[in-house]
Amino acid sequence: MQKIITLAVLFMLTLSAQMARAEDGETSDPRVSVRTIEPERDVGYTVGDILERTIILEAKKPYQLLETSLPITGNEQKRKNKGSGIEVREVRLEKSTGVNTNTYTLHLSYQVFTNNIVAKPAILPAEIVKFSGEGKNFEIRIPSWSFRISPLAVYGSVVVERDMSGFRGPLTLDAKRDYQLLWLALGVLGISLLGLLYVLGTYSWLPRMGGPFARAYRDLRKLSATPEDLSQGVARVHEAINATAGNSVFDSAGLLKRKPGFAPMSAELERFFGLSRNVFFEPAAPHGIADDPLGWLRQFCRRCRDCERGLK
Amino acid sequence: MSSSDSQLADWRDHALKLESEINKVVVGQQQPIRLITTAIFARGHVLLEGDVGVGKTTLLRAFTRGIGGGYERIEGTIDLMPNDLVYHTYLGEDGRPHVDAGPLLRCGESLAVFFFNEINRARPQVHSLLLRVMAERTLSAFNKEHYFPHMLVFADRNQVEKEETFDIPSAARDRFMMEIPIAVPNDSDIMESLIFDTRFHNADKLVENVQPDVLHFDKLNDIAVALQDHVQASPTLRKYALDLWLATRNPGQYGVKVDGVDLQRLVLAGASPRGVSMMMRAARVNAWLNNREAVLPEDIHVIFHETVAHRLVFSPVYEMRRTEIARELLSGIINAISAP
Repeated sequence: MQKIITLAVLFMLTLSAQMARAEDGETSDPRVSVRTIEPERDVGYTVGDILERTIILEAKKPYQLLETSLPITGNEQKRKNKGSGIEVREVRLEKSTGVNTNTYTLHLSYQVFTNNIVAKPAILPAEIVKFSGEGKNFEIRIPSWSFRISPLAVYGSVVVERDMSGFRGPLTLDAKRDYQLLWLALGVLGISLLGLLYVLGTYSWLPRMGGPFARAYRDLRKLSATPEDLSQGVARVHEAINATAGNSVFDSAGLLKRKPGFAPMSAELERFFGLSRNVFFEPAAPHGIADDPLGWLRQFCRRCRDCERGLK
Repeated sequence: MSSSDSQLADWRDHALKLESEINKVVVGQQQPIRLITTAIFARGHVLLEGDVGVGKTTLLRAFTRGIGGGYERIEGTIDLMPNDLVYHTYLGEDGRPHVDAGPLLRCGESLAVFFFNEINRARPQVHSLLLRVMAERTLSAFNKEHYFPHMLVFADRNQVEKEETFDIPSAARDRFMMEIPIAVPNDSDIMESLIFDTRFHNADKLVENVQPDVLHFDKLNDIAVALQDHVQASPTLRKYALDLWLATRNPGQYGVKVDGVDLQRLVLAGASPRGVSMMMRAARVNAWLNNREAVLPEDIHVIFHETVAHRLVFSPVYEMRRTEIARELLSGIINAISAP
């Protein structure tokens, strides 16, 4: 009795193992091996969706697939005289021959023609294909594959916080325009920061650049050798001296007291104030600059610029 | 060199000679002496301000000796009345009342220096009379108009004593070309000699050391006109002087700052047109004394404080710190205004 129970248990286990293998897409016929490649997901299909499955049948020689046994395009399997709503859309067969085997790759496309207001279970139906060889025919069953058909719209009131399907992912807005605005704003910000840096650097890109004498020198280069331009140039250098000292300066001592770094320019500063006196206050006053006072003024301003940059 | 130029050069020598004479008897006061010389040739009245016993009176007496001409002096007292300047009455030996001319009228038109000692002790009525005499150099008395074409008023006051004194009103202050501060010399050698050198102990004898009549007082008006015509002011300098003037009226607008002072409230009245005109006259004289034919900004700087500070009218809240604030304000104006 004990032995009979043991055998029965073993038989049941073997049978269930066989069934499990069949559900996994493999059959146990020694002449033909069946392997299936199913769609990636088994939920979220709705009316009009196409599901594709691939069945690889590997038959030992001399067994061959009877192509007349393949599913027919447009066929819809019925259950209890009601259409399942899953229709064969396309059947495509590829054949290859090995040393001992014939391999058939069957591509099946099904289209869903049904829907429901709530999720609905469905199956890609099991298919029976026939093989022949050694004067005999036999059938091989391709296992069914279960999936769920989803409704087109959520039935009833929608609570967005609970509508968190991992398959759909988060709802996203079109952010293209926002990204464009973001880049534009970043561009403006970058230019503004550069401008701010320039302003904080007292209008110079490098330390000690763009000082009063450097700016005055640039202006002096634009002047021509006329009395009007000479007086304009002297006034421009006065401006630079005043800006450097931080107050109005009327003689060389006034600048040297505030900026001892200009000490090497002491004698030339005296000459400059002599020139200024001649130009602005007393035309008869000697200034000791023989000719081309504007040229001398440019050179003087340039040397002051060098002092300003700490080069002297 | 034209005759006018040579005449001006001669007078410059006289002026420098006068300075050196004064410097012999009043030591350590080169700058005030230069300023008073400037005022004499600019024909401006002078107010000296300083502590007691620093030599203000001696300095002015020394100048009056050097200038020559009629010299009169009066002491400011609380009971001094305007008529005391014009006449005085007394009973003569014959027992009858007599009326004599007072200090203002005694020398007639040859009055060169009227020295008002301690002017701030006199009453405002006296200031009022003086105001007219200083401005117009005329006086109506005894049914007659009296003229003092060569007269300069030298006055002194000390700011320390407040008892029995009267503040000189701004209108009277404005008649003075300069208010010159007189301070104790810093040089310790000079300070020592002031203590131990006996020649400084008797002011009357000390003043006698000044060569009299170095200048011809009755020629000063003409030479003053000549030098004002001779010394030029360029358009740039005119603009600079104008900016300085405007800055005294509204210093905040020119970026001037004074510590602890609200500049919007400080100045009630800046320099007057007469004051700025006097400033430029003094600047021209300074240029001439330095042998220049045109005024430079430095010529204005030398006399700026002395010709402008006493004319400014401050809010009463700042009057107690007047000297300190005026000096800082005017230095700030010089530092803020550029030329060109």
